[in-house]
Amino acid sequence: MRIEFTPEQNGLRQELRAYFRELITPELAAELELSPGEGGGPLWKAAMRRMGRDGWIGTGWPKELGGRGMTPLEQFIFIEEVMRAGFPFPFLTSESIGPTLAEHGNEYHRTEIVPKILSGDLCIAIGYSEPGAGTDLAALKTAAVPDGDGWVINGQKMWTSLAHISEYVWLAVRTDPDVSKRHKGISMFLIPTSTPGWSCTPVHTLGGVRTNATYYDNVRVTRQNLVGELHGGWKLITGQLNRERLSLMNYGFTAVLLNTVTQWAIDTQLADGRRLAGLPWVQANLARARAGIEALKLMCYKQAWAMTHGTLQMADASAVKVYGSEFFVEFYRLVGEVIGQASLVSRHSEAGQVAHARVEQLYRTTSILTFGGGANEIQRDIISAAGLWMPRAAR
Amino acid sequence: MDFGFTEEQRDIQNLARQILGDNVSAAGLAAFDDYASERFDEALWAKLADAGLLGVAVPEEYGGMGFGFLEVALLLEEAGRTIAPLPLAVHLAAAAMPLARFGSAAQKERLLPRAARGEIVLSAALEEQFTRDFTAPALRARRDGAGYRLSGQKFAVPFAHRAERVLLGAASDEGVVVLLLDPRAPGVTLTPIRTSSYEPQSLLVLDEVAVAAQDVLAGPDDGAAVLQYAVEHMTVALCAHQLGVTDALLRQTAAYTSERKQFGVPIATFQAVGNRAADRFIDVECLRLTTWQAAALLAAGAPASVEVDIAKIWAGDVGHRSSYTAQHLHGGAGVDRGNAPWRYCLWARHNEMTLGPTASRLASLGERCARGEAMVD
Repeated sequence: MRIEFTPEQNGLRQELRAYFRELITPELAAELELSPGEGGGPLWKAAMRRMGRDGWIGTGWPKELGGRGMTPLEQFIFIEEVMRAGFPFPFLTSESIGPTLAEHGNEYHRTEIVPKILSGDLCIAIGYSEPGAGTDLAALKTAAVPDGDGWVINGQKMWTSLAHISEYVWLAVRTDPDVSKRHKGISMFLIPTSTPGWSCTPVHTLGGVRTNATYYDNVRVTRQNLVGELHGGWKLITGQLNRERLSLMNYGFTAVLLNTVTQWAIDTQLADGRRLAGLPWVQANLARARAGIEALKLMCYKQAWAMTHGTLQMADASAVKVYGSEFFVEFYRLVGEVIGQASLVSRHSEAGQVAHARVEQLYRTTSILTFGGGANEIQRDIISAAGLWMPRAAR
Repeated sequence: MDFGFTEEQRDIQNLARQILGDNVSAAGLAAFDDYASERFDEALWAKLADAGLLGVAVPEEYGGMGFGFLEVALLLEEAGRTIAPLPLAVHLAAAAMPLARFGSAAQKERLLPRAARGEIVLSAALEEQFTRDFTAPALRARRDGAGYRLSGQKFAVPFAHRAERVLLGAASDEGVVVLLLDPRAPGVTLTPIRTSSYEPQSLLVLDEVAVAAQDVLAGPDDGAAVLQYAVEHMTVALCAHQLGVTDALLRQTAAYTSERKQFGVPIATFQAVGNRAADRFIDVECLRLTTWQAAALLAAGAPASVEVDIAKIWAGDVGHRSSYTAQHLHGGAGVDRGNAPWRYCLWARHNEMTLGPTASRLASLGERCARGEAMVD
């Protein structure tokens, strides 16, 4: 039991902090401000490629796949630091889809797609949900019908985030028309967004972040696009979602924000002469946030450690997803209260301060995490079944 | 980064689990309900002593195993899992560890070998009825030659009547001192206190009680640091005990709801039931991680005040929520004294309220935040 990084790992954190201070130029920061949390602009693309060229995206990947050959802990450190830096890193591509492709993909995926993920040249969107299939994902209707040496896909997906800046969609489709087979009739395809018949329209969300509806109108694919076995997509989906749940929860960004708001409360003098941080209710909020963030930090560390040792438990992955997503909602409320009315002032206002504006925006965006990546009720079902061996209702 | 335990630590964990699991039963615990008899299992105490566990953190030269606080915390987690009827936290963490760390050779020679063999019980008086900063006691110590004279009170002192010595902090004109009180000394009045956990406790009233030089553990130069050491170790010991209590409650609840049928199915299959149990799974994990972090820092001798506050905040919250989840999901079976959960619920409450409940620890942590001492790494 020793919950701290090695000197080398702490050195890596410092190296990455210096790296991102230099990488995120004022010009890049200005571009990122245009679409918070998304990226996709020319300077963002250049920064992604530079991170790839410098070997950071594959920090914890095996050398034979083009990575640095370090452990999942170092990969975790990289992701924490890139998020701390405020760079909208499309982590689902490298942390979730990438490993799934490396494990289950064909020769083409391993030799053409994975290296481009690690070089920062590729972004992959996830096509699971549909208008009628969300929590009950196996109800999905988008279908691939055999045609010659391939398939033709028709249907619609919802919440295909980043699809408008992605080169590929990781798409779940029904390949067995017998709907009674549900989970056993689903396959995974990796589809270029340049394929004829593919289109995308924006969905604008409460948080100001764009997501998408994507449409598949006679989209033609071949066996090269198929990932894993035909009708064998469900286990790839669940495996990918496990990884997704882990990578959705980063504590670093909230850590930076709490430190910033705490320091601001210490430095802020009220009209009556008292320090903001001297008020009991401010201290209570800071303490609640601080105690909550510590648990999240330790959960993240433990999972990174467990991944390094190959001992990651399904219940623990769901636990960090539920805890983290619900903590974030509470966290932005707690720090927002400390900031007060100014926590409503947006980044578009000259009266705003950067940290305050982040709270203003993040409070609006963070709610997606409690249902995105698997609704928290379903995560709790997983926890009670896999962690406590309680019987589940048939679904 | 290592969230695992060494082979030796796992051996200690297994040894404690086996001895406590084999020897603590609901029927045995029933003998202590409502103070029908003193909540101290002599035979179990002897078994733990024989196994070396009462001296787990006592140096080998004083007859102990020579391990540290992590091993003590492992033992206490198992004690919590069984709510073992023994004063393990106070004996091991609040008394023997500060004694081993700060005591003179003569003090250690006099007390530690007998404490490790279980021949004596050591206690500590860390609570006062009208003090909330446990490192700033109100009990007065007046210099008297090379010793002190004590006047004042200590509250809810566990097993004071049985203890060979009671470690306590007192305020002298020169600063905080830490003394080893003989509870049988002239001027000491012990008034028994009955609590909901059935732990034997006393109100300790001291009237010009003489403490000789040989029983001064720390003078004003390092008294505050020694008292802080005792308080922080006892706090995390309570957190480890709470971890065992709440984990046991959760497992009892999962088992009960998996068996109990309504509408023809196990009630565990109702999402409202399963999800509430899952919330406690997450809670217990948060308590586990924050407790082991604090324990590991204390074991390494590193500053841990922020992490100790955080662990105790979780111990309070998780104890409260685990207790009511267990009672509710067991329905009547949870409050029926013929079943297991109710005694655990009372110990969850004991651990929650002892040495600073959540609100007071939040206030402490909030003050640290306001001083810029609690930034996240």
